[in-house]
Amino acid sequence: MYRLLASIKKELLILINDKVGLALMFVLPLLLVFIITIIQDSAFKIVNNNQISMLVANHDKGKLGTELTKRLSDSGMFEVTEDKKLDASGLKNKIAKNEALTGIYIAEDFSQKLTDLSSSVSTQMLSDFGIGEGEVKEVTNPTIQFVHDPVLQERYCQSIIGMVHAHIGSMESERMINSIYAEMGVDEVPEVITQKIGKNHVTINKMPASVNKKMVTPNATQHNVPAWTVFAMFFMVVSLGTNIVKERNSGSFLRIKTMPSSFGVVLMSKQAVYMMVGIVQVLLIFSMGAYVFPHIQLPELYLPANMLGMLLVTLLSTLTAVSYSLMIGAITKTQEQANGAGAISIIILAALGGVWVPTFVMPEFMQLLSELSPLHWCIEGYYILFLKNGNWGDLSRVMMILMSFSLTFQILTYLKFRFDKII
Amino acid sequence: MGQAIIQIDNISKRYKDASEFSLNDVSFTIHAGDKFGVFGPNGAGKTTLISIICKLFAQTSGTVHYFPTNGSELSIGFVPQDLALFEELTAQQNMEYFGAMYKLRKKEVKARTEELLSILGLSRVADKKVKTYSGGMKRRLNLAIGIIHNPEIIFLDEPTVGVDIQSKNAIMAFLNELNKKGTTIIYTSHHMEEAEEFCDKIAILDYGKVIAFDSLHNLYKSYNVSGLMEIMLLLTGKEYRDNV
Repeated sequence: MYRLLASIKKELLILINDKVGLALMFVLPLLLVFIITIIQDSAFKIVNNNQISMLVANHDKGKLGTELTKRLSDSGMFEVTEDKKLDASGLKNKIAKNEALTGIYIAEDFSQKLTDLSSSVSTQMLSDFGIGEGEVKEVTNPTIQFVHDPVLQERYCQSIIGMVHAHIGSMESERMINSIYAEMGVDEVPEVITQKIGKNHVTINKMPASVNKKMVTPNATQHNVPAWTVFAMFFMVVSLGTNIVKERNSGSFLRIKTMPSSFGVVLMSKQAVYMMVGIVQVLLIFSMGAYVFPHIQLPELYLPANMLGMLLVTLLSTLTAVSYSLMIGAITKTQEQANGAGAISIIILAALGGVWVPTFVMPEFMQLLSELSPLHWCIEGYYILFLKNGNWGDLSRVMMILMSFSLTFQILTYLKFRFDKII
Repeated sequence: MGQAIIQIDNISKRYKDASEFSLNDVSFTIHAGDKFGVFGPNGAGKTTLISIICKLFAQTSGTVHYFPTNGSELSIGFVPQDLALFEELTAQQNMEYFGAMYKLRKKEVKARTEELLSILGLSRVADKKVKTYSGGMKRRLNLAIGIIHNPEIIFLDEPTVGVDIQSKNAIMAFLNELNKKGTTIIYTSHHMEEAEEFCDKIAILDYGKVIAFDSLHNLYKSYNVSGLMEIMLLLTGKEYRDNV
C-alpha cells in the first residue's frame, strides 16, 4: 500500500508541476463548454425566437402579392422589407451584399395566375359534380423566385419555402371557395367560411420523449455540457499518453523492472490519479452548467434525479478515457506521436461519437460506425440520464459497453508492454 | 577472493529477427567484493549481458546463478546510462518514490535519502527540482537512486559520462568507498584511464564473446602492454564499429 501511495504521490506531484497540462485538462474544457453553449444557445434562439430577414420585391399588379407579403410579415417568422423598385437581379445583388438573409420576387402576373388556377380548379370540380357548365381553361402555374444567402443551410431554406407554400396554399383555397360561390351565383362568401379556411384548426403539442414523469426540456446546456465534458475527459490522452512515453523513454520503466515492485503499481497509480482528474473535470464542468450558467443568461443544467447512475456513468466514462490514454501511451514511441495520435484520434472519435453533430442526423453507415467510438457510449449514458431520465435498464447496456471498451484498451496496453518487455 | 556472487554459465542471446547472436556462449563468475569492469567496442554485447544479469530480459540459452550473501534474493542496484529521473520532482521526491519502489520503509527511505544526498553533495539542493540541476548533479542523483536500498551488487553503465571532473571524482571516490564496505561493483565505461584506476578485474567482450577475462595486472603481463587501451586495440582491432 505504501508503494502505491508513494507512486500516486509522485504522479500527483508531476501533474501539479505541469501547469500547461493542468490548463489543458481543467481550464480549456471549461472555456470550451462555455463558448460552445453560448454559440449553440444563440443559434437556438436565432432559429426559434429571432426573425429571418426577408426582402420582398413585389411587382404583382393584383392584390395577392401584397396579401402574401402581409401574411409573411404577420407570421412573425420574417422581418419583411418591401422594395417595389427592385428587379430580380437587384434582389440577388442586395442579398449578396448581406442586406437580408432571404428574398422573394413576386412577378406582375402572380395574382392573375393564382386566381386563374383557383378558378380552373373550382370550375373543374363543379363540372365534375354536374353543377357548373363553365369551360375549364388551360392555365400556367404562378411562380415565385426565392433568393437566399449562400450561408443559409439547406434545411432552413426548405423550411422557409414550406412556409411560403403554406401561405400561398391558403390563399389559393380562399380563391377557390370564392370562385365556387361565384359560380353558384353567391356574390359574397360567408364570413364564417372565410375564417374557417384561413385558420389551422389542428393543435400540435410539442413534448420531448422521456421515460419517467420528471421531464426536462432539452436546451443547449442539457445537450452540450455532458457531450463536451466527455470530449474534455478523453483529451487527457495528451497528458497521460505523453507522461507514459516520457517515462518509458527516460528509462524509468526499465529501472522499475530492476526493483522488487510490480510494474502494475506504476500503472495503477497513473490510473488512480487520472481517474481523479476525470471526476474533477465532471464536477467542475457540471457545476458551471448548474450554478454559473443561470447567472449569465444561459440555460441552467438540470442534474438528473438518478445521481447514483450519474456517478457510475462518470466513473465508467473516466475509466474508459484513462484506459484509452494508457493504450495510446503504450503504442506510441515519441511524445510527438502521443500528442498527435492522441489529440487527432479523440477529435475523430468525438465527431463519430456525436459530440459535434448528433448521431441521428448522420447517414446510416456513419451511425453504425459511431457505435465504435467510446465517446458515443459515454455521451449516450449521460443523455439517458440528462435528457430522457432513463432507468437502470437503459443504463445497464451502456455501462456494459463502456466496461468492454475499458477492458479491451487495458488488454491492448498490457500486451504492448509485454511485447516491449516492460512487464 | 570472496565467495561467488554471480555465476554465468554459457549465456547466449539472439534477439528476435536478428541473424547473429548478441551474446554467444558467455561464461564467467563474479565474486563478492569485486570491482569488475566489462569493456568492448560498440555492439560487443555489454549492455545485453548486463541487462540479462539485471533480469531486464531473458537469455536465449544458458543460466545465471545468483548467490545472495544475506537474504534469499540477491539485492541488485542498477544505475543506467540514461538519467532515469523525474525532472519535475525534487531530488528528495525522486528518492522517496524509488525508495518506496525498492520496498523500503518510510523511515529507511528518509534516512538513506539524507545520507546519500549528503555524501554525494546534493543536500543543499535536495528540495530543488531536478530539471534545474547540472549534468554532474543529475549523474550523482542517478547513482544515489540506484543504491538507496543498499544493494549487495551494483551495475553501473557509464556512470561518469558527460560530467565535470569534480563530479567524476566524487562518484569514483564514493564507489571505492562502497566497495571497501563490501559492495560488489560491475562497471562499464569507455573511459579507459578511469577503468584502469577503478577495476581490479575485467572482461573484454567482442562480437558477443568473452575474449579476455582476468585481473588487470595479469592481462598487462600476458599481452606485454602497459595500458588497458592497448589491450583493447590489440584484441578488438582499430576498425570502426559503426552498427547501422
